[in-house]
Amino acid sequence: MINSILRYGLIFILLMLLQVLLFNNIEFSGYINPWIYIMFILLLPCEISSWLLLIIAFFTGLTIDLFCGSLGMHASATVLAGFVRPHVMRLISPRDGYEPGSDPSMIIYGFKWYLIYTLTIVLIHHTALFYLEVFRLTDFFRTLLRVILSSLFSITFIILLEYARKGK
Amino acid sequence: MRNLLNFLAKYNNLIIFLILEGIAIYLLSTGNNYHNSRVVKGIQGVTRGVEKRISNTRSYFRLREINQELAAENTSLKSTVEKLKNKEDLLFFSVSDTIYHQQYTYTSARVIDNSVNKQKNFFTIDKGEKNGLSVDMAVTSAEGIAGVIVGCSENYSVAMSLLNLDFRISARIKSNGYFGSLNWDGRDFKYAMLSEIPQHVPVSVGDTIETTGFSAIFPEGIMIGTVYNFENPGGNFYKIEILLKTDFKKLYFVNVLGNMQKEEQIELEELFQ
Repeated sequence: MINSILRYGLIFILLMLLQVLLFNNIEFSGYINPWIYIMFILLLPCEISSWLLLIIAFFTGLTIDLFCGSLGMHASATVLAGFVRPHVMRLISPRDGYEPGSDPSMIIYGFKWYLIYTLTIVLIHHTALFYLEVFRLTDFFRTLLRVILSSLFSITFIILLEYARKGK
Repeated sequence: MRNLLNFLAKYNNLIIFLILEGIAIYLLSTGNNYHNSRVVKGIQGVTRGVEKRISNTRSYFRLREINQELAAENTSLKSTVEKLKNKEDLLFFSVSDTIYHQQYTYTSARVIDNSVNKQKNFFTIDKGEKNGLSVDMAVTSAEGIAGVIVGCSENYSVAMSLLNLDFRISARIKSNGYFGSLNWDGRDFKYAMLSEIPQHVPVSVGDTIETTGFSAIFPEGIMIGTVYNFENPGGNFYKIEILLKTDFKKLYFVNVLGNMQKEEQIELEELFQ
């Protein structure tokens, strides 16, 4: 128990540092800014209770908010992602269900499953985030383009990180 | 009672979700106004230290470039001083009381946190109320305008960058004096849009755009950028794209300008509204 709290705490800090120090400084034009910290919500254990997931999601978003000076924006998008995660997992569950005590990782459930899982949650998170950021519907399609391009980059980086984490 | 408990047990996740989402939206609606948020001020002290360290590291890698910029600014200041000296040497020695005529105060500051990739960008500078800064002061870089201060703590200030959808400033074409309103369209950090310039005005690519000083925040005649592209969308006004002079991606040394006669101007203007 203590061991896994420590492990996830470490992953949390690493992801936050990666996001704040590296990915926040990446800009390819105004259209692409990847938010990879959402990976923390993706890699929590399959059997985590929903309420704990929601609370963790809230504080993950709030931490990013403090660094970006956008109080509430990431918190709200991440809580949404945390809320839909159990539903997404139920929808795309593999034929024999999830193994008890496992992580939703690529090595166990395969690349295709992981891709669909990441794609759905990242898209939901980014859509909420970018529309909350502009907070208006003018330039609807431009924001949509930003959502899609940024999601593509986030997903790519998350999958690469997942390979680095598990795929040895 | 049991029904109520059953209901809560059944929908507890939805309820937690709604509560957390409510808190987040509440923070979002109150917290992003930098001036009236105590929450942000209180908590940001924690992240400030980290940001300052990052900025220090980054500036170390850019020392050569920063030196060149400072040297260039120095040269231009020296040449201005030389010009003024020559004026004094003419015929009479005149005493000009600068204190009475000084309208703007200048404070130099360093940018410790900045972004260009959001829709509403802000940057943080390392001077605050202690150094005489206050809300609504103008921030300029060596090349042109940069933003307006929206919040001050004792040692730091947060400024709304020109790259913010809420930023608006009155700007004019230097060659003919026609003025319009300038704002950023959220696309590229190198360009801004100038609107409300009527179509009979001659505009050409490369025209200089500067501030008008109508707002009592920016002094008159500060460089903003040059006309990059303009089109005729069919209404009464041009749609002009401005290439910004300030490079927001490497904003580092800035000047903060306080207008000492701002209250006077605003009071007078309010009398007639």
